[in-house]
Amino acid sequence: MIRVELRKLILSPRTWVTIALLDALPTLVAILLALTDLGPRPGTGPAFLSAVLSDGSLFPLAAIAIVLPLFLPAAVAVIAGDAIAGEAQGGTLRYLLIRPVGRTRLLVAKLLAVLAFVLLAVLVIAVTAYIVGTLLLGDQPLATSVSGSALSSSQVAWRTALSLCYATFSMLGVAAIALFLSTLSDSPLAAAMGALAFLIASTLLLTLDAANVLQPYLPTRYWLSFVDLFRDPILWRNVVRGTALQGVYVVVFLGAAWANFATKDITS
Amino acid sequence: MATIRRWCVVALGVALLVSLPVAISALPARDSEVSAEELLEKAQGSSDLSYSGLIESVGSLRLPISDHFTDVADLFGERTTMRVWWRGDDDWRVNRLSVGGETDLVHDSRGTTTWDYESNHATRTPTFDIRLPQASDLLPPALAQRLLEDAEAAEVNRIPAARVAGIDAPGLRLDPSEAQSSIDHVDLWLDPDSGLPVRVSVFGLSVEAPALTTTFLDVAIARPSESSTAFSPPAGVDSHFADFVDIAAAANEFAPVRPPRTLAGLARRPTTMGAVGVYGRGATLLIALPLWDRAADPLREQLATTPGAAKIPSGMTLAVGPLNLLLTGTAFEDHSWLFVGTVTPATLERATRQVFAHPPSLGHWVVTSGPR
Repeated sequence: MIRVELRKLILSPRTWVTIALLDALPTLVAILLALTDLGPRPGTGPAFLSAVLSDGSLFPLAAIAIVLPLFLPAAVAVIAGDAIAGEAQGGTLRYLLIRPVGRTRLLVAKLLAVLAFVLLAVLVIAVTAYIVGTLLLGDQPLATSVSGSALSSSQVAWRTALSLCYATFSMLGVAAIALFLSTLSDSPLAAAMGALAFLIASTLLLTLDAANVLQPYLPTRYWLSFVDLFRDPILWRNVVRGTALQGVYVVVFLGAAWANFATKDITS
Repeated sequence: MATIRRWCVVALGVALLVSLPVAISALPARDSEVSAEELLEKAQGSSDLSYSGLIESVGSLRLPISDHFTDVADLFGERTTMRVWWRGDDDWRVNRLSVGGETDLVHDSRGTTTWDYESNHATRTPTFDIRLPQASDLLPPALAQRLLEDAEAAEVNRIPAARVAGIDAPGLRLDPSEAQSSIDHVDLWLDPDSGLPVRVSVFGLSVEAPALTTTFLDVAIARPSESSTAFSPPAGVDSHFADFVDIAAAANEFAPVRPPRTLAGLARRPTTMGAVGVYGRGATLLIALPLWDRAADPLREQLATTPGAAKIPSGMTLAVGPLNLLLTGTAFEDHSWLFVGTVTPATLERATRQVFAHPPSLGHWVVTSGPR
């Protein structure tokens, strides 16, 4: 079942168009930076963007920081929102369930397919950003942690790899929310919009001091904590919490999707 | 029926996940029988302790922002996350974390290096007796030492313990006895064994919410390694030496004035003998800062548009929680006085009247290389 879903994902033109669109924004940013040599002022702009004018090899991290707050979760919401509702809307859900496969397995396969999409997108963005960054941007390797200490190339490499994994894992929550909404509705658009509304609310609440009590539980709270992997020593606290929080969202919303979908009457 | 059973399982799981952290944080901290006097003594004797950890400070003071005071406004008006490695007064490092980078203070016996990742810039400055507040002043132990300085047993009493960074920390309340103070009380929680302050909350008069709270999120009370406070500017970094760390340090050095020995009934602290006067003790603090016009004018303009600021005959005043400030008008030839501190507005006006009656000017302002 998982293999079937992955195959569908890879062969779908929509997957590659979405990834290409995701890839376009950081590439455009790199071109603009190269042409103008104008980085963001300190304290403004996405993480690592000011550093790439000196060291273009850091651009994969800046590219992830560019797409992570909005474009990547929007793409995940669209893909995951389409997982069940898209099949229902296309009239293929009944035929899909005729196969001797449990509905719970189908949900898990759909979630893993979305995770594979995120991983693929993040890898394509990172590789493109590395090529664009080293070709167009700074060529003086900083090899410096955020705390100013020197990092070896292997330390930079494994911290970057860990950051990409963390960014991928951070999307699990929104994927689970969209998947749950996808089991409620026959409209993929409604499921995607519902998940996006959840994310916008989360982002808004993060800016409010009055919502301080809720903030540790908001799905977007720890998304940018991959920067902590480049502090010296690494600050694991928020990375661990962010990972655990995504796990909680998966348990809750995959559970809700299971509760709703396992015995739901399928009419389309 | 099966669907209802499934939803019940999910609801139970959600209830467990939500209630578990709430239940753990609601567990009462184990209190001890230690008296307020003993706790005060322990806290005052904890200045030699070494420690490291993660700290969060939350300030609710919306200070007017002008060029020279931006960092101060951020520190007292926002949430600040810091990492600290404190080996001693002359060997520490405080990293102020932001989403996309960090600004670090690395201090040794010869001075302080400020490292800003996002501007890729390192600045070395000497140590100054007088300077504007910086991140290291908001560490719970540093802030507690300042607030409890010369505190007497009659000013403190016990409050219930709280769990801070996994420590069941007994609480202590300081009620400043000075009539000039705008601080209602200060609540502190300390590590019961070492006396290290792990949380400090400062409350203004007639306000229930704290004006400033700083607390450890993680703490290790042990001497950090030597490498944790070491710093050398990385290759390719824009690095330079600055004569002055901020406007207060420059004014203290260059302003040709000597503030009086007492101001508004508060005695001048003996450790500060420059042009900037620091008065009072512990939580009751009054600072008299002479400002040349190029620094005072932008602040005056900012105050004119700040809600709550008021124009009075002697200048402009603003009350932000327990912090009050008064910027004198242009009565002096080429400078103004900024009176600021945790004192009442009446105390500031009294200080202004005193300075107007006996101007402490000794000569002309000569500004050669102060910060711009």
